[in-house]
Amino acid sequence: MKRKISRLGLSILFLAPVIFVYSIFIFLPMLSSLYYSFTEWNGVTDTAFVGLKNYKSLLADSDYWVVFFNTIKLVIITLVVQIPMGLIIAFLLYSKTRGMKIFRTIYFLPVVIAPVAIALMFSLFYNSEIGIFNIILEAVGLDMLKKNWLSDTHTLLYAVMAPQVWQYIGLYVTIFLGALQSIPEELMESAQIDGANKYKTFLHIILPQISSFTSICTVLCITGSLKAFDHSWIMTGGGPGVRSAYLGVYMYKTAFVNSDFGMGSTITITIITVSLIITGILNMITTMKSNN
Amino acid sequence: MKKNIKKTFALGLAIVMCIGLVGCGNKPSSSSSSTDSTKVPSAAATDEGSKAEKVSITIATNWGEGDSKYDYFYPAFQKFQEENADTMDLKLVTYSTEDYKTKIKVQTASGDLPDVFTYWGGSMINDMKDAGLLLEADQYFSDSKAVKRDDFNPSSFDYYTAADGKTYGVPIESTRGVFLANKDIFAQYGLEYPTTYEELKAVSKVFNDNGIIPLAMASSGGTPSEFFFSELYNQYAGAEDELKNLTSSREFATDNAIKVATNIQDMIDNKMFPEDTVANGGWAACLQLYTDKKAAMTYTYPWMFESIPDDIQNSSEVVAIPMLPDATVDPATMMTGFTVYGFEINKKSYEDTAKHDAMVKVCDFLASNELSTELTKSGMIPAKNIEVDLSTQKVIYQKMMAFSEGKKLIQVHFTTMPDADAITMMDSSLDELFIKALTPQEFVNKVQSVLDKNN
Repeated sequence: MKRKISRLGLSILFLAPVIFVYSIFIFLPMLSSLYYSFTEWNGVTDTAFVGLKNYKSLLADSDYWVVFFNTIKLVIITLVVQIPMGLIIAFLLYSKTRGMKIFRTIYFLPVVIAPVAIALMFSLFYNSEIGIFNIILEAVGLDMLKKNWLSDTHTLLYAVMAPQVWQYIGLYVTIFLGALQSIPEELMESAQIDGANKYKTFLHIILPQISSFTSICTVLCITGSLKAFDHSWIMTGGGPGVRSAYLGVYMYKTAFVNSDFGMGSTITITIITVSLIITGILNMITTMKSNN
Repeated sequence: MKKNIKKTFALGLAIVMCIGLVGCGNKPSSSSSSTDSTKVPSAAATDEGSKAEKVSITIATNWGEGDSKYDYFYPAFQKFQEENADTMDLKLVTYSTEDYKTKIKVQTASGDLPDVFTYWGGSMINDMKDAGLLLEADQYFSDSKAVKRDDFNPSSFDYYTAADGKTYGVPIESTRGVFLANKDIFAQYGLEYPTTYEELKAVSKVFNDNGIIPLAMASSGGTPSEFFFSELYNQYAGAEDELKNLTSSREFATDNAIKVATNIQDMIDNKMFPEDTVANGGWAACLQLYTDKKAAMTYTYPWMFESIPDDIQNSSEVVAIPMLPDATVDPATMMTGFTVYGFEINKKSYEDTAKHDAMVKVCDFLASNELSTELTKSGMIPAKNIEVDLSTQKVIYQKMMAFSEGKKLIQVHFTTMPDADAITMMDSSLDELFIKALTPQEFVNKVQSVLDKNN
């Protein structure tokens, strides 16, 4: 009994700093955001309790829905592009081991560069006057594809998404490469002896073996997209209007630029809610899969 | 025994982690993006006696490195700092303009405003004023022996005067909007400066045919489009009064606003502006098209004069904006001219008896003739009634002042808009208008909806 208590005490002792920090910097701000979401507050004067008014206004706000769907589009595009690209590149590196370490470093390099630097670099690339994208298109005779990337409503959002999607592919390459290297050699050899070609080996051996890594990458992808901020803010400030803004940018503009902390908190709560819903769905799918 | 060692080790580790956290939390420093010019006190100055006498004062501004005023402000500040090193620990905190606005807003929310800080007026100070954080400027004027209210142009206080009739800031900078034309480019194509919209269309066609952008005007975060919009707005009947009364009427959605927005879109259709209005938006990017001779005309403000090379200043003429269709006020008779910047005094710091005298001294420095005279070298028009020796100013400054002779000075939406978030909405909606993502009516409605919501 005494031993159990002492083990419990030791666990609490080790966990206490983390719980303390997590409570101070995550749980308490979340709770206070929840409270402020029911208030009208400019950050200076006293808060005024307004009940669900902020939520009703937000749901009736067309800009909010533009931003919401921008964020959903980002989630989908990162899922569709980053994970398959990461997996394909990792598989290619895994198959051709020569120079793998160098390529792995090269692919991972953008991940460690500050998003602000990447965003600034791309905003220069997109510039219609001096940007390299239009210059390259012109040089290769594809003038018809030249665009005002950030001033065209058809390309704007995707132009802002592109650097973010590109930057983090390397992260998934590294994760998948680690996953591929952890597959037992015997399994691959058995498949080859049984006559499985590379395609079948990939589909029936590799993919199931790395499914837990795929789940982790999916969660990282989704959470990364839901809290996306830097690229949009640096390249366009979320604009023109809110056309290239994500929920994080919209929350920041509402709270810190317009000094509407009540509404800003309401947006924060919607971000948390969306995150929880998606995480819940993912957990359900994972549980169902593991049960099967 | 072994267990006890483990437990002791674990306990020790936990304590070290906690101490580490506390240590991290205690790091006393301003943001890495700020310029902290606090002087390290000498050994003699750190003794008990000196500590008691010295007063710590924080001045915040956006006139940091990269700003056109930095080269003129910072030496003056350093001189002031050295002269008062015995009595004050002066700390200068600087940020780039947009970061600075956010920083001050956050500090307003946390009740931690700098002691004295340069800032805009109008709706930008509403929250601080409502929270009672700002000192009435008249109180400072009554305490100061060096600076009096009469030293300033009376109208310069309008921007800092709230609905309660009290003034909550000391103006430093007045400004004028200038429409510049490159006379060499016009001469090269045998063109005259356009005075009507039809003429503007005609010269634009010639410039476009020759690969030159007619008018460097774009919109990113509402710059410089917002002031350009107001400049055009003033050409229409009744617009001047509408602008003047905007604070009380809260009516942005006027027929004139729709007319101007419609004309801007017509200008876009006629390819008068650069195609990429977002990438070329912002004061610097927009002006650069003109200074690189990629554009024949531009609309800018004196705070950008520092970025105009001498040869471009020489080849530039300040001309009147062409008259728009249906306009009734001749643009050659007016130009935008208003107080745009000044400084605020933290009421709490000012009323702190230990700080009071030092605060007055710092305010005297910011409102001094010497500093204003220095800042004119960056292109600033002083809000104070001081004689500016034009011969020592930039060529473009001289041309601007010559052009403004006898002109009626008019307001802009930026100074009379009653709510700061309505300005933000105007800026972001102008960006949308410029890429034709909004119709003129939608643009006007978006701004009006913010004013209505806040009413």
